[in-house]
Amino acid sequence: MALSGRSTRPRYTLLLLVLASVTIITLDYRASGAVTAVKTRAQDVLAPVQSAVSGALRPVGSFFEGAVSYGSLQAENARLRAENARLLGPSLRASAEERQAQQLLAQANLPFAPSIAKVEAEVVGPGSSNFEDTVDIGKGTSAGVRVGNPVVTGSGLVGRVVAASTDRSTVLLVNDPSSHIGVRFGPDGDLGIVNGEGTGQPLGVDIVPLAAHLTKAEVMATSGVDQSVYPGGIPVGKVASNKAPAGALQRQVTLDPVADLGQLDLVSVLQWLPSQGASPR
Amino acid sequence: MTGWARLRLGLVVVSILVVQLDVLDGLGIGHAHPDAMLLVAVAGGLVGGRQRGAVVGFVAGLASDAFLTTPFGLSALAFALVGFGVGAARASLIRPAWWITPATGMLASAVGVGIYALLGATVGQGQMLGDRLALVVGVVSVANGVLAPLVVPLVGWALGPGPPAGRAPGQLTTSVRFAAGSQRAGR
Repeated sequence: MALSGRSTRPRYTLLLLVLASVTIITLDYRASGAVTAVKTRAQDVLAPVQSAVSGALRPVGSFFEGAVSYGSLQAENARLRAENARLLGPSLRASAEERQAQQLLAQANLPFAPSIAKVEAEVVGPGSSNFEDTVDIGKGTSAGVRVGNPVVTGSGLVGRVVAASTDRSTVLLVNDPSSHIGVRFGPDGDLGIVNGEGTGQPLGVDIVPLAAHLTKAEVMATSGVDQSVYPGGIPVGKVASNKAPAGALQRQVTLDPVADLGQLDLVSVLQWLPSQGASPR
Repeated sequence: MTGWARLRLGLVVVSILVVQLDVLDGLGIGHAHPDAMLLVAVAGGLVGGRQRGAVVGFVAGLASDAFLTTPFGLSALAFALVGFGVGAARASLIRPAWWITPATGMLASAVGVGIYALLGATVGQGQMLGDRLALVVGVVSVANGVLAPLVVPLVGWALGPGPPAGRAPGQLTTSVRFAAGSQRAGR
């Protein structure tokens, strides 16, 4: 009897843990404030430890990162040598600080969304998920960043804030498969939906009419229609391919993101929320 | 589990979480990186058996969920199942060998990522079953196999003495001795 009790106890424990997990997931889906508060609190508590340890462990991380990405570093090195040989101008030998300053300047004078306040933030690392294309930025709610805020560079749209603690936020990039963006294009202002297709893949565009007039490298920008999650007029991507296969109901269009999502350094968070409605174009 | 064991487990989970966030997240191969928190769940089952494996997995999963944008509780559910499963599989071990720890870390991590993706798709994260899954399974399983000999003894220390492993209880009386035995057998 006692043996039977011992052997069934782990199963009851597992059942209890499964029920607890399902309850937590349900609460999270119902946008429970308690779950968000727990996550934010945990991130806030660990933030100082992370900052302290980050400095100490950075050389270790850099060593392994270098070992892991040796092949791509070699390719990058060869590409940079070729680029350097082609462009001997001293202006292109700007230091990292100068490049950052240029980026900051470009972002301070964004050619889009001029009436929206923004917060400059540094990209502090890749996101923690293996299944989402995200980056972490070093500004949070204490700097005015809110969940839902669009994130841009001087070139165009990067993504939107999906989680924010006091001093850090997570940004879902436009190339994540769960990202869908309403866009306008062409002389007639046709509407389409840009979908993320994953890291390194061009963005796909849905509901482009067969009769739509599109030119190579044409820039598609956020539509800003009512209830859009982005304000209007922010460049999203340039047309990379544009086909109209026989028998298709819509054009097959792909875009290259205008923002260099693989080399994000400094970004601007637009203090705009979807509930504010469409912005003037 | 005693109060001291809980404290040690908390310390180990937080330490490994910080290493995950500050070091391992940056070691991406094709944008997939090792998952040491999943390995904590595997180690919990390996050294602590079914019940403690499930509890350790749940705790490690919750800690991990706090830093993810996927549904809160998803990792806790997946990791609890992994910890329990590894604990159950441990019962069929006849004797320790040096390769059991890395092999279990590798195999259980591969299964764990699959369970996580499947549960994720069930709760609306359909992209988890996309093209990237094979890459994530490969990277996480290989990396966790390499990290297992470091993480398993740490979790063994945190949990303290546990139920005997395998079918010959006389040979292995504590979880720490199981972990240590696996290491010694390789020398």
